[in-house]
Amino acid sequence: MPKISSALFYQDPRAALDFLQKAFGFEIAMLLEDADGNVAHSQLALGADHVMVGSEWSEDHKSPRSVGGKNTQTVHIQLEDDIDAHCERARAAGAEILAEPQTQFYGDRTYRCRDPEGHMWTLSQTVAVVSVADQEAATGLTYKVGA
Amino acid sequence: MTARPTISPCIWYRDPKAAIAWLETAFGFEARMVVDDGQGGVMHSELWLRDGCVMVVGPPMDAAISPAMFGGRASQSVHVQLLEGLDEHCQRARAAGARIDREPATQAYGDRVYTCRDLEDHPWSFGQTLTQMTPDEMAKATGHAITSKA
Repeated sequence: MPKISSALFYQDPRAALDFLQKAFGFEIAMLLEDADGNVAHSQLALGADHVMVGSEWSEDHKSPRSVGGKNTQTVHIQLEDDIDAHCERARAAGAEILAEPQTQFYGDRTYRCRDPEGHMWTLSQTVAVVSVADQEAATGLTYKVGA
Repeated sequence: MTARPTISPCIWYRDPKAAIAWLETAFGFEARMVVDDGQGGVMHSELWLRDGCVMVVGPPMDAAISPAMFGGRASQSVHVQLLEGLDEHCQRARAAGARIDREPATQAYGDRVYTCRDLEDHPWSFGQTLTQMTPDEMAKATGHAITSKA
């Protein structure tokens, strides 16, 4: 069981399960269905971690599709390799690419996309190790770094 | 520094600096990196709890929004699996001002769980496994059909 996972709310959780497997390479680790075949709970695994996909189970738990595309949280996925191929796979599955793969000043190559119900995902792969001092010099930003 | 996990929730706050301080007090997170945007906001941060990590950012822009600006609605929640001390964790969160939605209760699937809202109404759930069940035992206990690769 991972320590921290994101739980995402969808109008159509079953369609989301299909999309997330095709687009991002998730695998169903666990799927609970009620007597009517509705998704009661699910865990989709990627590497050692997972996300949970569920329904809009109260008036406060809403798919972006139901609330004008708004996201209160997004999911960050750290990939080991092949981020450009990952992006092409997501695009082919119907993800809307918001930012094409690009190498960032902090040494990660990233892309951002939106799934069919409007949840936003950031995909990232470390391609160079850049020191905090070099990042601060490049951006003029202040970093506070702890343990 | 611990390698970043594969999956980290990135959470939007109207006041991300207040949120970071609150999440440390209420839930026991440790901020190991905070990137200030120079205008009172936070561009990037990493808050760790054991080897799990969340990112706190804000203020919201474009399609992002905080539940505090959105009638308490949320598009995702964060689940944290604890190794021990779930009831004490809930008391600590309550003392810091978390609104407890569901008090700690032992679930049919063997976990003890509580859920709450944070200072900007983001929903969180915390679980601790008390009884490790097989998928078959879990199906029997919950009445749900279970497909599992575990």
